[in-house]
Amino acid sequence: MGRLAEERFASDCTILVDGHPIPARAGERVTSALLAAGQPLLSRSAKYHRPRGPFCLAGSCSSCLVRVDGVPNVRACQTPCREGLRVETQNAVGGAAHDLLGAIDWLAPHGIDHHKVATWNQLVNRVAVSASRKLAGLGLLPDEVPAPWPEASDERFEALVVGSGPAGLGAAEALARAGKKVFLAEREPALGGRLRCRLDLAEDPPLEWAGEVAEAVRRAGGEVARGAAVIGLWPGEGEATAAVVQAGEPPRMRRVRAARVVLASGSWIQRPVFERNDVPGIHAARSLAVMLAEDGVLPGERLAVLGRGPEAEAVAARFAAAGLAVERLDGEIATARGRNRLSGLDLADGRRVPCDALAVATARMPAAELARSVGAPLELDPETGAFRVRPGAGGAVAPGIHAAGEVTGPCSAAEAARAGREAGEAAARG
Amino acid sequence: MARTFLCTCEDATVEDVRRAFEKGYRDLESVKRYTGIGTGPCQGKTCLAIAARELLKLGATPGEVVPFTVRPPLHPTLFGALASLDPEALPIDEGVPRRPPAVERPRPSGPLPAKAQVVIVGGGIMGLGLAYNLCKRGITDVVLLERGFLTGGASGRNGGGVRAQWTTPTMIRLAQRSLDIGDSFAAEMGINTWFRRGGYLFLAPTPKQVERIEKNAVIHAENGLRTRVLTPGEARQVVPEIDDTRFLAASWNPDDAVVFPWPYVWGYASRAEALGAKVRTFTRVTGFESEGKRLTAVNTDQGRIAAEVVVNAAGAWSKELAALAGVKLPNEPERHEILVSEPLKPWLGPLVSNLGNGLYFSQSLRGEIVGGMADPKEPKGLHMGSTLRFLSRFSRALTEIIPRTAGVKVMRQWAGCYDVTPDNNPILGAAGYDNFLQLNGWVGHGFMMAPAVTELMADWMAGDPPDEIFTRFTLSRFERGETAGEDFIIG
Repeated sequence: MGRLAEERFASDCTILVDGHPIPARAGERVTSALLAAGQPLLSRSAKYHRPRGPFCLAGSCSSCLVRVDGVPNVRACQTPCREGLRVETQNAVGGAAHDLLGAIDWLAPHGIDHHKVATWNQLVNRVAVSASRKLAGLGLLPDEVPAPWPEASDERFEALVVGSGPAGLGAAEALARAGKKVFLAEREPALGGRLRCRLDLAEDPPLEWAGEVAEAVRRAGGEVARGAAVIGLWPGEGEATAAVVQAGEPPRMRRVRAARVVLASGSWIQRPVFERNDVPGIHAARSLAVMLAEDGVLPGERLAVLGRGPEAEAVAARFAAAGLAVERLDGEIATARGRNRLSGLDLADGRRVPCDALAVATARMPAAELARSVGAPLELDPETGAFRVRPGAGGAVAPGIHAAGEVTGPCSAAEAARAGREAGEAAARG
Repeated sequence: MARTFLCTCEDATVEDVRRAFEKGYRDLESVKRYTGIGTGPCQGKTCLAIAARELLKLGATPGEVVPFTVRPPLHPTLFGALASLDPEALPIDEGVPRRPPAVERPRPSGPLPAKAQVVIVGGGIMGLGLAYNLCKRGITDVVLLERGFLTGGASGRNGGGVRAQWTTPTMIRLAQRSLDIGDSFAAEMGINTWFRRGGYLFLAPTPKQVERIEKNAVIHAENGLRTRVLTPGEARQVVPEIDDTRFLAASWNPDDAVVFPWPYVWGYASRAEALGAKVRTFTRVTGFESEGKRLTAVNTDQGRIAAEVVVNAAGAWSKELAALAGVKLPNEPERHEILVSEPLKPWLGPLVSNLGNGLYFSQSLRGEIVGGMADPKEPKGLHMGSTLRFLSRFSRALTEIIPRTAGVKVMRQWAGCYDVTPDNNPILGAAGYDNFLQLNGWVGHGFMMAPAVTELMADWMAGDPPDEIFTRFTLSRFERGETAGEDFIIG
């Protein structure tokens, strides 16, 4: 727990979590500050009021929803720290650590069938419905009327690339080289996608490549937009329209239209399936690696790493080098221990692994939502249950729309970069 | 407790999914709805693959393991952000998702019998409610055919409002009966519908609208409703967050209600089946056979079924279905879009509707804001895509009337189709053939009327004299010119 003792990782501001000061680095995510402070507990879950803490750390799951400066249900992992930022835990009576409603979990050991509960009598049902309403919901309505957003822009580019991981960088570079005016949309504040893990796997393009691509895009008249989340993509006559939420001061909506689109939206982590798999302290391995590289965050003292392959191996090596006791799990997990924080894992073979953090490097699911919304054909991998986009030549998935990288299934960063380049070239021709 | 979670947004466990599967909710769309997986703030990003894998382990077929429909926004997005888009600059188009052709379909829920006394086409609340009510009256040789999964049509896509504030004694009577049934539905059917009488608050922003609600309030009083016309200040006592400068008066009935629509459908289906009816999902009607003035059989993609009576309860597909029998209905499907926000602690009691622009919204029992808004430019047609234009129009209208919602995020948008008739009234009774009964054309209020209407229809089919609605709202009224339009359609 804590941070690497390097000058560049020293904290320079304080955020307030339920009124308690937590040291942080300005600009880093709230979850980085919390994990560095040894606090993976953030709130309580919707139904059973179980302790919840950040899992994906990349804005895809809902395990880190908190109230930030009076706005409910904000992802802590997407919220930059600044002096005095007010973070409040949600859905807990008496604090996330000692939530009185946690009793619900203990009173219903076999679960609550919400379809059947209290249906035996009309009067009982009415009382139960009224009580359920009081218990439901996560955050509270905002305290105040937020400042209005500036009027949304309407912009045209020759090409839109969604995602700046290796596939998106490859596509943007190819399009820029072909002279196209590209809009490269990256939801995170930094470019690179999984290259930000700095795992330096064999043949991985270096992260510095992202800077070169950004320069090439700008030279061709395009724009590299960081903190730009594409929330929807609508195909139209000869061009597609993307709705983009652009972070900034103030944040704004951008309507971005382009005749060519490359979807390089990557993949989402899936929660591994074992008993008590929701205990705070279980995190996506890639995100932990990014937090280590960029914020020097050490998520615990004893880290277990779940998953096979070079990525899991490299994550384990990085944290071992950072001074953590690291154990790679080679068996199936039966159950997790710990209540407000992970304290160990019982494996299916009976072994017990003490740990206070678990890095999940198992199969990820293609982030195929945008591709699916434009009608991309899919293929199911029966082993992982993941649906991958099945593109045609040059990554084509719909008229004018291409897909590349992990959205089309598991691949190395080098393979993703290559596929991205091909998709970019095909898009530039089309 | 030692739970194994599959969806941590909704606290749904692997065990919940297994139970749903064993109950017959086998395909991913149905499993999602029955267990809640994928319906929370992450919209399935953290559970879709593991859910698919669990279903495969349980023995689901490839046709059943197809991802649930993807809808915008990809990430929860503030109403305040979406309100900054100019809706007039955005097209009404087909919307998303565009669907690739299905390779395999889920298998039907059971084999098709060779014959049945009553064949009902359409597994929405109308058809299922009728099947249940027929069974209750001893007519149990009933087969219901549904082309997709239960809740796939408008019965699974509506906002769940049930109101008595209508403009004619007939509609008020039907709605009041539906509200009464709503009170006891959970206990009678053994499934929670989260029925809550939070009232309906109609806002009148113009003098003309004020006149309209004042006139309606008189009709309501004559028909035993507690409707009151409120000043903006009084309306603010009902909804403290409302901007009371945006309207002149409001029509308030505290007895109107909001429900969660899906369990009504499941409840009717499972009770009807328990009483002897056969509900066959993923079974598509392809044609009819007839002799003289009677239909004799229904052909489907799963085979032929001989029928003594055929009921068309196909909602937005009613016109298409009737055409297969050579019967021309004046109904037209019309897309209506709707959305849901992230879940909040309870703050909004009633369903609020703005008569000035067609906005309506309520807070579901899960805490989400659920609402829609009709678009006067919407063309007729069977589309269910989601548009950016709707997100923008709705967000502007909502944040105008409740400014604090600008800091609340949209979680998902979707769409369904109204089954629209020329006079906004339903099509009931026989049409084209003596034994081809219509139960359609409900123009967006079928869900709330179904509990009452299907009781009356079952009474009639069981031999009672018909309620006046079955002689008044026939197809032939259009030829006779006996139409009186209903003007209180919202959403």
